[in-house]
Amino acid sequence: MLPIDAAAHASSWRRRHPADKAVLSFGLLGCAVALPPWPGAVLVAATVLVVAFGFAKVPARRLWRAARAPMGFAATGALTLLVSIGADGVAWAEDGPRHAGELLARSGAAGLAMMLFAFTTPLSDVLPRLTRVGVPAAVVDVAAVMYRMLFLLYDTTARINQAQAGRLGHRTRRARWRSVAGLGSAVFVHAFARAQRLEAGLAGRGYDGRLRVLVDEVPISRAFVAGSLFVVAAVVATTLLLVSVVP
Amino acid sequence: MHIAEGYLPWEHAAAWGVASAPFVVHGARALTREVRDRPENTLLLGASGAFSFVLSALKIPSVTGSCSHPTGTGLGAILFRPPIMAVLGTITLLFQALLLAHGGLTTLGANAFSMAIVGPWAGYGAYRLARSLLDRRGGTMPLDVAVFLGAFVADLSTYCVTSVQLALAFPDPDSGFPGALAKFGGIFSLTQIPLAISEGLLTVLVVRLLRQSSRGDLIRLGVVTDARVAREEEKTK
Repeated sequence: MLPIDAAAHASSWRRRHPADKAVLSFGLLGCAVALPPWPGAVLVAATVLVVAFGFAKVPARRLWRAARAPMGFAATGALTLLVSIGADGVAWAEDGPRHAGELLARSGAAGLAMMLFAFTTPLSDVLPRLTRVGVPAAVVDVAAVMYRMLFLLYDTTARINQAQAGRLGHRTRRARWRSVAGLGSAVFVHAFARAQRLEAGLAGRGYDGRLRVLVDEVPISRAFVAGSLFVVAAVVATTLLLVSVVP
Repeated sequence: MHIAEGYLPWEHAAAWGVASAPFVVHGARALTREVRDRPENTLLLGASGAFSFVLSALKIPSVTGSCSHPTGTGLGAILFRPPIMAVLGTITLLFQALLLAHGGLTTLGANAFSMAIVGPWAGYGAYRLARSLLDRRGGTMPLDVAVFLGAFVADLSTYCVTSVQLALAFPDPDSGFPGALAKFGGIFSLTQIPLAISEGLLTVLVVRLLRQSSRGDLIRLGVVTDARVAREEEKTK
């Protein structure tokens, strides 16, 4: 399994309705993007970390590992804000460090808010409920097949890769190219062969074009949603207060 | 490379979402029609989406010596056509955001525009153009050249659009949009040229292997025709 999905399945909030967690996470995500980065983004990041570690029991190491790649992109992009290009060539940008810092703060806080949802809500809980918010059933079915199949394909990829390495397929540059191409085409063949076998199996069970799955009927917690809205409102109010007091 | 969560100001994030929506809705309608007419294709489309997701996680050796990941948009567009790729690509980006923390939900529209819309359409356009110009020559060379160009253009156009998106969001204080485009293009597009060449070469190798091992699927997807296969078999005899 992928580390984030594994953490979501083991999360202490696993049994909560996805809408509960969406109100909190996406509310904080909206705050991170829409409020002034200072102090809005800092408050959002602090709130997410307190909620993630204190209440949702998100594993800190996994969260850190997941956050590294997007922060790398954000840092690389932020570097460009430090310089400006004018008629005289390249020069240090006035206010560049402040803009870069604000960008990193906003992106970091928003990323953490999104990860709060991802680390507590398995996609298998979200996908069947998407039809209720207007996503076409056919698209949801295709997404559900993708979700179930990608773990099998990941596993297949890892095994083929291991076998290629065992046969010295990664030893030289030429061998590595051949191995990667072989891996890509083998995964394609596996994916299509598996889909055809699934199709044959479902046809024998009266498949009519819909992939129905049982969804746990978990009620939306009014108390949790009210608490989430309170937290989001508190972040907004504190940010606006600090902005007006400390210009 | 995906634009990270929260990286774009909310106005830009919303605008790119609006720009992507018609293409994704059009693709969703095409996909719904396809599934209604041939229900069994739900599984093949799901398999195709999962393949695109896994393909983007493969490590390819770059021609400069480093390693990178292919975007997979060129191969996806050649195999499954751009309208379907708009939906499969958007679902893939959503999965990458929620399963790998690559990209994000607020930047989904911007990432979908570059990776699921412009990349596949530009790559497919280059592929079709090359095939229409070269197909008369016969043999496997025209297909290889077309596949290379399709994957190369899809990869590079994806990153060029990303650079434009970032330059629009963060114009240079002195020279505005052109200066910002030079900065972001220098970091995200020029460095991508060797990786786009690598992805083009990899895609050619993958399609060559598929022609040997999965010819029936390629005929069904319309990448090669029965007549072309018969011609090639005749030649090899």
